[in-house]
Amino acid sequence: MTEPAPLAPPANEAFSALALTALDDVYRFARSLTRDEADAEDVVQETYLRAFRSWMTFQTGTDVRRWLFTIARNVFLRSKERGKREVNLDDDGAEAVDAAEAHDNWVRKGLDPILASSELGPAISAALETLPESFRSVVVLVDVEDQSYEDAAEVLGIPVGTVRSRLFRGRKLLQEQLITHAQDAGLIPMSGDAGRNA
Amino acid sequence: MNTQEQMDCRKAAEKLYDLLDGELTADVEQKLRDHVSACPHCFTVADFEQRFLAALQKLKERGCCPDGLRSKVTESLRAAGFRG
Repeated sequence: MTEPAPLAPPANEAFSALALTALDDVYRFARSLTRDEADAEDVVQETYLRAFRSWMTFQTGTDVRRWLFTIARNVFLRSKERGKREVNLDDDGAEAVDAAEAHDNWVRKGLDPILASSELGPAISAALETLPESFRSVVVLVDVEDQSYEDAAEVLGIPVGTVRSRLFRGRKLLQEQLITHAQDAGLIPMSGDAGRNA
Repeated sequence: MNTQEQMDCRKAAEKLYDLLDGELTADVEQKLRDHVSACPHCFTVADFEQRFLAALQKLKERGCCPDGLRSKVTESLRAAGFRG
């Protein structure tokens, strides 16, 4: 295979200054996709190699993190052969609102203690890992990496409306997982109401 | 709540995350903010969701790349021609 021509010094500097400074962000996103540290490291390394080889295609002035997230997502999908779209997960947002309203009150009551708990960070990390990948990646991109709905849609190759509905359901699933965690940790009592599914 | 109020609360619930994520137009955002500030139910929901999202965003402070990954990435890039 023919190696691409080496980048000119200014391009190397730009790659260092822009792409490499986003390493933590790319790792965090890769970690959320793979749920495994070693796999995440592989995705990150491959992402940076591909980014370097196609650096000339990066449009200066656009969001380098969005560009790297897109590459990382593609690397992940190819490595795991997970290219199939999970369209069956994307229901109408209003239906999700109905389901969410039915248990919003007990979620709030149940989650209030844990929102003030020092265990919240680890609990959220653990809960996030239980989400299906299609929800997890949207939640991480928007809620952790501060990507707009439009940027997340571009990274994931899905419509903005799908980002919105997955985000809604992903957040609700996360809240339910946190309730379970808080109950297991004894932070809130087990009760018939708090333990039921929506 | 009367029917009109329920409709307003339902719309507010549908748009709440858009509001908190800064995804609304100024006009819709103002209408929603007016409703949320005047409606005790929606105010409570919005307060909770805001705190939940703030907690979620703090994950960014936790998840940095492991020791050694940065040098591994740099090494593999140098092998590919990187001169940074």
